[in-house]
Amino acid sequence: MKRTSVRILSLLFATVLLLSFVLSGCGGNSDEDTTSQNTINILMEDVPDTQCVIDNIADFEEATGITVNIESVNYSSMHEKILTQMLSSTNAYDIIVVDCYWVGEFVAAGWIEPLDSMIESSGFDTSVYIDSMMNMVGQVDGTTYMLPFYNYMLALIYRTDIWSDPELAEGYKNETGKDLAAWDSLEDYVEACKYITSVKGDEMAGAVMQGLRPDPIAMEWCNYLFSCGGDFYDASGNITINSPEAVKALELYVDNMTNAAPAGSPGYGFDEAFNVMAQGGAASYVTYNWMLPKLENSAESNVAGLCDVAQIPGGVSLNAGWGWAIPHNAANKELSWKFLEWVESFDVCKARALSGGSPTRSDVMSDADVLAACPYLDTVKSIMETSKMIPIMEDAPQLIEVLGRELSEAVTGAKTAQEALDTVAEEMASMT
Amino acid sequence: MYNRKSKIEVALTYVVLTIITLFFLLPLLWILRTSLITKAEAYQIPPNWTAALTLDNYINIFVGNPFGQYFFNSFFIALVTTLISVLLGAMSSYWICRCAKRGNQLRMAILVTQMIPPVVMVIPLSLLVKSLGLDDSYFALIMSYLSFNLPYVIWMLLSHFESIPRELDDACAVDGCTQLQAYFRVVLPLVMPGIMATAVYSFVVCWNEFMFALNLTGLNTRTLPVAIASLDTQQGVMIAELCASTIVAILPIIFLTIFIKKYLVQGLTYGSVK
Amino acid sequence: MKSIRKSNFLLFMLPSVIALLLVLAIPLGYSLITSFFDTNLKYQGLGEFVGLQNYIDVIKDVYFRDSVKTTLIFTVGVVILEFLAGLVIALLLNNIRKGRNLFFTIIIVPMMITPIAVGLIWRLLLHSDLGIVNYVLSLFGISGKAWLADASLALKTVMFIDIWQNVPYMVLVILAGLVTLPTEPYEAAAIDGASRTQSFFRLTIPMMLPTFSVVLLLRTITALKTYDLIFVLTRGGPGSTTEVISYHIYQQAFRYLEIGKASAMSYLLLLLIIPIAFLFIKISRSRTV
Repeated sequence: MKRTSVRILSLLFATVLLLSFVLSGCGGNSDEDTTSQNTINILMEDVPDTQCVIDNIADFEEATGITVNIESVNYSSMHEKILTQMLSSTNAYDIIVVDCYWVGEFVAAGWIEPLDSMIESSGFDTSVYIDSMMNMVGQVDGTTYMLPFYNYMLALIYRTDIWSDPELAEGYKNETGKDLAAWDSLEDYVEACKYITSVKGDEMAGAVMQGLRPDPIAMEWCNYLFSCGGDFYDASGNITINSPEAVKALELYVDNMTNAAPAGSPGYGFDEAFNVMAQGGAASYVTYNWMLPKLENSAESNVAGLCDVAQIPGGVSLNAGWGWAIPHNAANKELSWKFLEWVESFDVCKARALSGGSPTRSDVMSDADVLAACPYLDTVKSIMETSKMIPIMEDAPQLIEVLGRELSEAVTGAKTAQEALDTVAEEMASMT
Repeated sequence: MYNRKSKIEVALTYVVLTIITLFFLLPLLWILRTSLITKAEAYQIPPNWTAALTLDNYINIFVGNPFGQYFFNSFFIALVTTLISVLLGAMSSYWICRCAKRGNQLRMAILVTQMIPPVVMVIPLSLLVKSLGLDDSYFALIMSYLSFNLPYVIWMLLSHFESIPRELDDACAVDGCTQLQAYFRVVLPLVMPGIMATAVYSFVVCWNEFMFALNLTGLNTRTLPVAIASLDTQQGVMIAELCASTIVAILPIIFLTIFIKKYLVQGLTYGSVK
Repeated sequence: MKSIRKSNFLLFMLPSVIALLLVLAIPLGYSLITSFFDTNLKYQGLGEFVGLQNYIDVIKDVYFRDSVKTTLIFTVGVVILEFLAGLVIALLLNNIRKGRNLFFTIIIVPMMITPIAVGLIWRLLLHSDLGIVNYVLSLFGISGKAWLADASLALKTVMFIDIWQNVPYMVLVILAGLVTLPTEPYEAAAIDGASRTQSFFRLTIPMMLPTFSVVLLLRTITALKTYDLIFVLTRGGPGSTTEVISYHIYQQAFRYLEIGKASAMSYLLLLLIIPIAFLFIKISRSRTV
């Protein structure tokens, strides 16, 4: 007994010693990698665009002699990951992707490098981007900080077979005197959704919704807000989030959530709602426009061939997207720019779009090959041109967080729509 | 103690244990099933019991990513951290039990360091690590894991050391042993079940840790939890791959537990050292 | 004698103390200092000294006060239930010979899954329209619930998932304690004619008390800091029914970058834990000789 334990312990000691040797060796190696002159490290998320960049990266590496490392982390943790890098004197990443509602914060903190001089000296043309993308994840107050990388504008995805079902349409006409799929306003849409739920019962809901805090609920509701004519601020900068239009938007939202959407909706994120739609459990769904090709993919969905995308009923969609940016403390900004120039060139953007990416360039979206592969991009482009966005402000992450919480309070019935939005307005007063 | 149990009681024990085990087992079986089918089938209700099983999800995680590398990173970091914290922690724990004058204050001081949530610790810690040029190194992650593992190990072992009668040490001292000899030869073998349980816990905590790993690792040192979390993308949760990687991630710990279960569940014959 | 004690201190304690100071001193100091400053990570430096203003702001925040209540309900609930379940399972396992390893190995698996994966997998199982749980319930004629979306159920559901994951920890530690108990006192008690229930209450419980108080204390501290599960499962919703203190701290630190306020919240949490910890230490130490 004694002998064994002594033996185990000496073994442990030896292992620790050995490991610490290995450790110091490994530390040295990784240092060499990061300080190497011809390497750029990119932090992004794993989306089809990323996969396509990885597939084509050999061309770039061959042409320039630069080695590219791409690190992808989950979306919800990216902000944390970027944060600690930005605060140090050096940055492990030469290029990052910035979500649209981080832009104000990053610019105010001076974390991302203005690109204007590099754009000018290399003759890169930024006019090819759709204006609403460029204004959101490109320029801030006339200075260009980012190149629009990826759009995730929201739109209405609906089941073509259900909304054109003559039986449903007739029943609806008899009951209300309206056309089922007219969608002239949000009220009409909500009413039609409730009708479908009441007819189909457990089998199918008129709409599936995503009430998870903070991004899913806040982003979904913004579509209701804009479509009811509301906004966060008016033209002169006064807070209008508790205006009558906004209250109406929230009441409609809560109405749809309680009376049309499945019972689990107040807790669903984008993915759970997607799966309800993909399994045929819902007739419509306000979501990212590129959920459409995913719904058409039979490995993920059972409703392939039955869906289409449309403008939010009555109005205006929420635009959203990511931009490429170079951190203020990146090691070699010239190399970073070289990569951006390549990755945002027409050919690479087209290849990305063809492999399931989400384009931001106007010329790519109207390219014949791209349209032949993804016909829905035509609709997406026209929706995008009139879309609105979450205001660019320093405290936008806080705004989303507060908005998400209060919307959820309204959905659970803990507060009325007016009370909830009054709280948001109150807290917005101290945000910049 | 054992001869008084009736057969009915034994049977009842097995029935209850089986029910309890099912509570833990059924979700695990569902994870296993999900790892062998596609996402569309995973969400199909009523379940398609005849769905074709495939190993694609397992292939995907190993082919698309250097999952083997993540696996090694996690294993290496968890193992080294566990060895160091059990080695140092057991000694400290023993000392606190036997020699510390202000035991309560010392215990409290060790515990206080664990009361601040990691969310707040991780920002200054990663800045420190970066300023020392240690980011993306095993060393940084191991040291930061020691910060919460060592106190836990010390604490978990306290009660085990306390249950060993002091007379044993005294007897050794009479025989002319130093305290170190008494500790290694007499006390340590007696608390082996406690040490093993603590080591398993310590390993598991390191193996699963996410917050520090997210902020302190780069491409070279990325651990499994960070890799698994990255399957939760903006385009949806890759649930089938997530289940596959979860299954892959729990296998080594199951082997580890089977390997050391001798100490863990059987206990030692107490009399052997008398 | 004294010098021996000192050299033993160097031998037994110093390595741990150095290791802990190396990693903990700066982060703990930094967060204590920033809790008195208007520090926001967007701007360089500590910002303005604001004295106790952060603490006052935090206490004034209605949502923070509610989250203290939610945190306490969550912690007390999961710690007690996990402890009782862990104790029962460990006792049952300790009572059998055959199959003990098999039961034990299966039961401790949930502990080995990283909490983020646990959250995502339970979201799949508990999906109110497409989850297997509601489907199985429907086979028995029970209508399924919106487990994570119903304001009156969400906290209970999160607690349930936490219990599923953390009971194994209790089983592991309690069983390790049970198997090290000496057998002589039981033999003596059996000779004196004590029943097994009697020897359980008179021998097992008192002898296990130090182990009990340690697992309860450590688990209380980790439960008070629970963050991953809430983050994946509910993000504090629906409404604010599952907002716990650590979720607030996360929001302040990582979303608003208000590290000063986040630190103040952490130190308030510390104040909440210290009396509980002292109580546990007193209880466990007073009974042992």
